[in-house]
Amino acid sequence: MSENVREIQAAQYEAEVLAAPEPVVLDFFSTECPPCEALAPKFEAVADQFKGRVRFLKIFRQGNRDLAAKLAVTSSPTLLFYKGGKEVGSRLTGDIKRSEIKQTVEAMLA
Amino acid sequence: MAEQFDLVVVGAGPAGLTAAIYGARARLRTIVLDEGMPGGQVKTTHKVSNYPGFPEDVKGAELAGLFAKQAERFGARIARAVEITKMDLASREKSFVLDEDEEIRGRAVIVATGAKPRALGIPGEDTFRGRGISYCATCDGAYFEGKDIHVIGGGNSAVEESLFLTQFARSVTIIHQFDEFQAEPATAKEALENPKIKVMWSHEPRAFLGETALQKLRVENLKAKQTSRVGSPPAPPAADHRGRVWEPSEGSHIIDLDTDGVFVFVGMVPRTELLKGVVPLDRWGCVETDDSMQTSVPGLFVAGDIRAKKFRQITTAVADGTIAALAAQKYLREVR
Repeated sequence: MSENVREIQAAQYEAEVLAAPEPVVLDFFSTECPPCEALAPKFEAVADQFKGRVRFLKIFRQGNRDLAAKLAVTSSPTLLFYKGGKEVGSRLTGDIKRSEIKQTVEAMLA
Repeated sequence: MAEQFDLVVVGAGPAGLTAAIYGARARLRTIVLDEGMPGGQVKTTHKVSNYPGFPEDVKGAELAGLFAKQAERFGARIARAVEITKMDLASREKSFVLDEDEEIRGRAVIVATGAKPRALGIPGEDTFRGRGISYCATCDGAYFEGKDIHVIGGGNSAVEESLFLTQFARSVTIIHQFDEFQAEPATAKEALENPKIKVMWSHEPRAFLGETALQKLRVENLKAKQTSRVGSPPAPPAADHRGRVWEPSEGSHIIDLDTDGVFVFVGMVPRTELLKGVVPLDRWGCVETDDSMQTSVPGLFVAGDIRAKKFRQITTAVADGTIAALAAQKYLREVR
C-alpha cells in the first residue's frame, strides 16, 4: 500500500475524517469485491498525486458495519469526500475511474 | 518513447484474455489493457455452471484468475487498472495513452470491452446507487444477512444472483416484468423451489424512495393496470407456480414495498465508448463485424459482448476472442 493511503477504524472516524485540517477521501472497501481490488491501485496513484494536500483513507466495511450503516454506505467500493468536517460532492461507487477520483478531488480543492 | 506491441487487446474479460492466449502463443508481442482487474463480468459472477471443463461448477472469480494466468504464462502482459486517456485507432499504426502518461503502440488491436450492467433509468436510481441499490451481488450480498431484499430482472443473471443472495438474506423477492423467467429452465426451477425466494410476476419498478438511504421500492402491477384501463374487474393477485400469492394493496396498481436493498440485473449495455466515431455502431450500440471479427477499419477487430450478435455467453466470448486473434495474426502477416 502507498504510504499516502492509511487504513482507519470506525473509532478513528471523528479524529481522522471529521477533524482533519485538509480535505479527505474515504474508501469503504470489502473482500471478495473485484471493483474494490481494481480501485486500490488507482486510489493509491491519485493519493500520491495529491500528497500533503488531501488525506486518503480507507476503511474495511465488514469490520466497521455500524459506521457504514450510519453513513448509508451499502455498496463496495464507495468513496466519500469531506471538506471541513462535512461530506461534500457526490459519492463514487462501483467501477470507479482514476480520472473520476482526480476530477472530484480537484473540484473539492477549487 | 512509446512501447511497441504487435497486438493490443482492450478489455481483459474472457474474449480479450482468450485473444491474448492465442496472440502470445503465436509469439506476438501482446498487451491487454483493463480499467480494472482481469476477468470482466465473469469475476463478479458467483458461480459458473455452463463453462465446459468444470463439471462441479467454478467460482467466476476463480475462472477469471485462471484465464489471466494462462495468458500471462505465454508472455502476454496484462496492464491492470489503467485508463485509456487518448487513442488513435484509425491509423495503420494504432496508439494509446494510458493514464495521461504512458504511450503504447500496436500494429493490430482487438477491442473486447464487453458490457456493463444496464441501469433502470427510473427516479431515485442515481440518488440511491450505493445507498441501497447494488449491481454486484458478490460485492454486497454478505451485508444483507437476515434482511429482506428485492431483485429486479428475470434473466439468467437475475435468477442466479437471487439464488446466491439467499445465502444471506432472509427473503429475496424478484420483481419481473413478465409472467415467467427468461433464465435457463434449470436455474428457474431451482429459484422457484427455494423457500426464501418470492416472485412478483408482471411487475415493473417505477421509483426508488427514501431519505438518506433507500427505504422503499415503488412497483407497478402491469396486469392490474391493463385491466383497470379497460374497465374490467381487477386482475387476480400475482401467484407463482407453487401457488404463493401476493396480494396487491386495494384499489391501486402502484405499490410501495419496504426494502432493505435492491439488486438490479436487467441486462447489459455494450461498452463501446472507445469506438464511437471510429466504427459504425448498430442501434443497440454494438459493432458489426465480418465472421473473422474484422471491423471496417483495417487492423481493428472486436470480440465478445460488444459485437453485434445474438448470444452472449462466456463460451461465445471465448470463441470470438480466438477468431479475432487468429484473424489479427493473418492480418499482421499480410501487412508486413
